Amino acid sequence: MTAYILLEIRRTLRDTTFLVFGTGMPVLMYLLFTNLGGGGDHDEWKAYSMVGMAAYGALASAMAIGTGIASDKSLGWLQQLRITPLAPGRAVTGRAISGSVTVLPTILAVLLAGALGNGVRMAAWQWIALVLLLWAGALPFTLLGIGNGYRLTPQATGVVNVACLMGLAIVGGLWFPITEFPQWLRSIGEFTPAYGFAELGRSVVAEHAPAAGAPAVLAGWLLLFGGYAVFSYRRSARTA
Amino acid sequence: MTQTTGNQRTGARSTGVRTEGIGTTGPAVCFTAAVKTFGRAGRTVRAVDGIDLTIERGETVALLGRNGAGKSTTIGLLLGLDTPDSGTVRLLGRTPDRAVRAGLVGAMLQEGRPIPRVTVRELITFVASTYPRPLPVDEALALAGMTAFADRRIDKLSGGQTQRVRFAVALAGAPELIVLDEPTAALDVEARRAFWDSMRSFARRGNTVLFSTHHLEEADENADRIVVVGRGRILADGTGDTIRRAAGGSLVSIDLADRPADGLELLPGVVGVDVRGGRALLRTDDPDATVVELARIGAVRGIRVDGGTLEDAFLALTSPEAAGTDTKESVR
Repeated sequence: MTAYILLEIRRTLRDTTFLVFGTGMPVLMYLLFTNLGGGGDHDEWKAYSMVGMAAYGALASAMAIGTGIASDKSLGWLQQLRITPLAPGRAVTGRAISGSVTVLPTILAVLLAGALGNGVRMAAWQWIALVLLLWAGALPFTLLGIGNGYRLTPQATGVVNVACLMGLAIVGGLWFPITEFPQWLRSIGEFTPAYGFAELGRSVVAEHAPAAGAPAVLAGWLLLFGGYAVFSYRRSARTA
Repeated sequence: MTQTTGNQRTGARSTGVRTEGIGTTGPAVCFTAAVKTFGRAGRTVRAVDGIDLTIERGETVALLGRNGAGKSTTIGLLLGLDTPDSGTVRLLGRTPDRAVRAGLVGAMLQEGRPIPRVTVRELITFVASTYPRPLPVDEALALAGMTAFADRRIDKLSGGQTQRVRFAVALAGAPELIVLDEPTAALDVEARRAFWDSMRSFARRGNTVLFSTHHLEEADENADRIVVVGRGRILADGTGDTIRRAAGGSLVSIDLADRPADGLELLPGVVGVDVRGGRALLRTDDPDATVVELARIGAVRGIRVDGGTLEDAFLALTSPEAAGTDTKESVR
């Protein structure tokens, strides 16, 4: 599996356009939102929007991996991979881990922009915890994105993944606080993956432990999307 | 032949290096009444329609058929990419899935195109690493004739070189059985010859090779045994000579000159009649007797006798007429 991870990481790192735009977009959005909107000079807003944008950027680059997988499938690479002894579970895990290499720079870039550009100040442990939690917390979304990639054409994967991302971001309260939702939607929202993911980040900024449910909810989604990705991978090799 | 039982380890142990510790039993490949249907609700196509096939270890076998004959589906079943609707497929005594997982199989698929941003060596190193007892990477590259291009990115190679990379992928794990689906499609003559040289040196190591092709000469020159498939079935199975004979060895043709073609199929030796542009083409397994009889009835205008080529045999075996009205398509 290590060899597979290394192979895919190499391929990703050689795709400069993907890296530059995947990393650059969230940074640009963050700097625009915090400096043009006149939303406020409060440090709190800058820290929260920094976490929000790092989270959103992490999700976006996590799910973008699916498109590359769909084009690998159209090249026949997934079938070729399927007839090596690499077990489907390992192939999917390896792909998810190698996909994380594009998630990390996105998180780092937004946090760096926050620290250097917007003067966000936090304790050292908060920065480290933020990076690690956002990075690990993006894994369920990576699995959802690659699961779609295993099933769909490259074009369809792009569209479906953006739709999933938007839907999850809205219901999970990444864009509007979940407290403004009607009660029924709020109860649903609290069990969605993006809510648990954002909760990890917010808890670090607010210096308290994340709500007990959040990691459990996220772990549940990790298993569910992981199962979906493995199932889709197994199907992807069929010839018709 | 006890291909389905998996507990003959004691026999395998004494046969030496290749099977040591792997514990494989049975023939390299064994299809039993395998059927695979594609399509859904209403319109279905039986791509594989009851195939029985056993390939012993060490054989080099060609799967010969026209496009759409069912070759690729057969290979899909063989590799466990698809599962048969009925019947069984066993590789080295186990299910395709287990054989693949155990690293006993390497394959070159028809659809494979190069993935971007990887060098030849990186790809082969990765594939080899997934097998329990791979070839050294340099050896795999040398066998496929890719040593000079090892550090090139595979999406920057020519068609022939790409094909060799895929061959290197198939053999990198030193599998017992190697499966090549149309390995020389889209190669020029020289690249084709170089490819088969590589393939034969791999087969000489005692490996089992199964390749599909629609080129007769390739099958005849490179395989010990040819399995002709058409409409999802096995139409003939044997050496090139056996197949030539099975289809009626020679072709005798005459100008009909307004004479009806009726009754020609009853002449001695004749196994098939085809009328094209005023000429009758008689497939015969006894050309002498056929010609003598044609002379007796005075039907010798423009007579020609052609020695049976494998191509004639192939066309005879796979022509739609040979199947009667059976088209393998049902509309419910």
